[in-house]
Amino acid sequence: MSHFRNMGRFIALGSAAGIIGCAPARPPQDLLTARAAYDHASKGQTAALDPADMHVAKEQLDLAEASFTKDGDTQDTRDQAYLAARKTEYAEVIARTMQSNRAKEGVVDAMHADEKKTVALTAAELGRTKTELASQGAELAAQGVALKDEKTRRQDAEKRATQAAADLAKFASVKQEARGMVITLSGSVLFASAKWDLLPSAQLKLNEVADALTKEDPLSKMVVEGHTDSQGAAAYNQTLSQHRAEAVRDYLVSRGIASDRISAQGFGPTRSVADNASAEGRANNRRVEIVVQAKPSQ
Amino acid sequence: MKKSLLLVFAAPVTWACAASFPPPTQRMADAQSAERSAREVGANNEPTAKLSLKLAQEQISLAEKAISDGENKRADGLLIRAKVDAELAIAEAREKGAKADKQEAVNDAVEQKATNAGQGAVK
Repeated sequence: MSHFRNMGRFIALGSAAGIIGCAPARPPQDLLTARAAYDHASKGQTAALDPADMHVAKEQLDLAEASFTKDGDTQDTRDQAYLAARKTEYAEVIARTMQSNRAKEGVVDAMHADEKKTVALTAAELGRTKTELASQGAELAAQGVALKDEKTRRQDAEKRATQAAADLAKFASVKQEARGMVITLSGSVLFASAKWDLLPSAQLKLNEVADALTKEDPLSKMVVEGHTDSQGAAAYNQTLSQHRAEAVRDYLVSRGIASDRISAQGFGPTRSVADNASAEGRANNRRVEIVVQAKPSQ
Repeated sequence: MKKSLLLVFAAPVTWACAASFPPPTQRMADAQSAERSAREVGANNEPTAKLSLKLAQEQISLAEKAISDGENKRADGLLIRAKVDAELAIAEAREKGAKADKQEAVNDAVEQKATNAGQGAVK
């Protein structure tokens, strides 16, 4: 019996030893935490984003597992497990940081791309504006040239007018009288004796008169007066002076003076300006006067 | 007789073990250095990092006490933990910085878009 009892004690001892050996089957909380943490990290983005720190964490977890398998729930096992959990967390934090950085880079890149687009648009706009300005500049330059041309033309015209007045003075006298400006043309310059057709040379001179009258005073009314000397019949002279005045008037109208501005009247020998007794006096009396009224009628 | 013999042998072994673990001065320096770095990067300003930093600091304190009690091996383990906690605190503080930077970039982008849209409207 005692032998059996001894056997029983042996078995009990063996069992006890077995129990002691199996006791580590219950892992410490630190190890459970570490396993869960690593499991979570390896299934998420962290394994891909930060493999190096995940590797370190795995090595640490292996150390903890080895310590637990070998020695059970010892302080060392707990320490190793704690480190494994913390290193896993470290890898997770690094991975999240990388995600934030990448997201930021993405945003910044997009922003730069946007900026580039805006710059390109602005540059294009600027280009268009430049082209517009250039064409405006060309237009202005052209206007400048036109203005200069206009000025030159005007100067030329003034010169011509001055010249015309000077030319006029050669064959006509211009006087200011109470009835207006009186341009006196010598009859011999305009007409052949006893005729009222204008001489060709007279037409050239009358052109200048017409130019001067249209340019200098385009509004004033005027009267063309025909005058003769006292030789011959008065009625004949009256008719002659009337026709001559009308011939001059008609010619001036044909040269651009409005017909409602100008009238013609013959006075015969009634308004002599010189003595009809002398040849020179008679020559002075044979004349056409263009009277430009001092004020425009309107 | 046998018992006493065992004691005679056992005692020197135990003594030898205790004596063979020197004070973990290098580990203490490493842990303290990491703890200082964590404070410098602003671990105290971010709740998660602050917790990790606090754990590191507590374990450094415990290690100091363990060393003064002659428990060098225990102190060594605590200091390894303290260093890892401090390093985690640093990483967590930086993560917050990265998040803030990202948010700032996003805000800038939104602002830029609004500005561009505004210019577009003026055109």
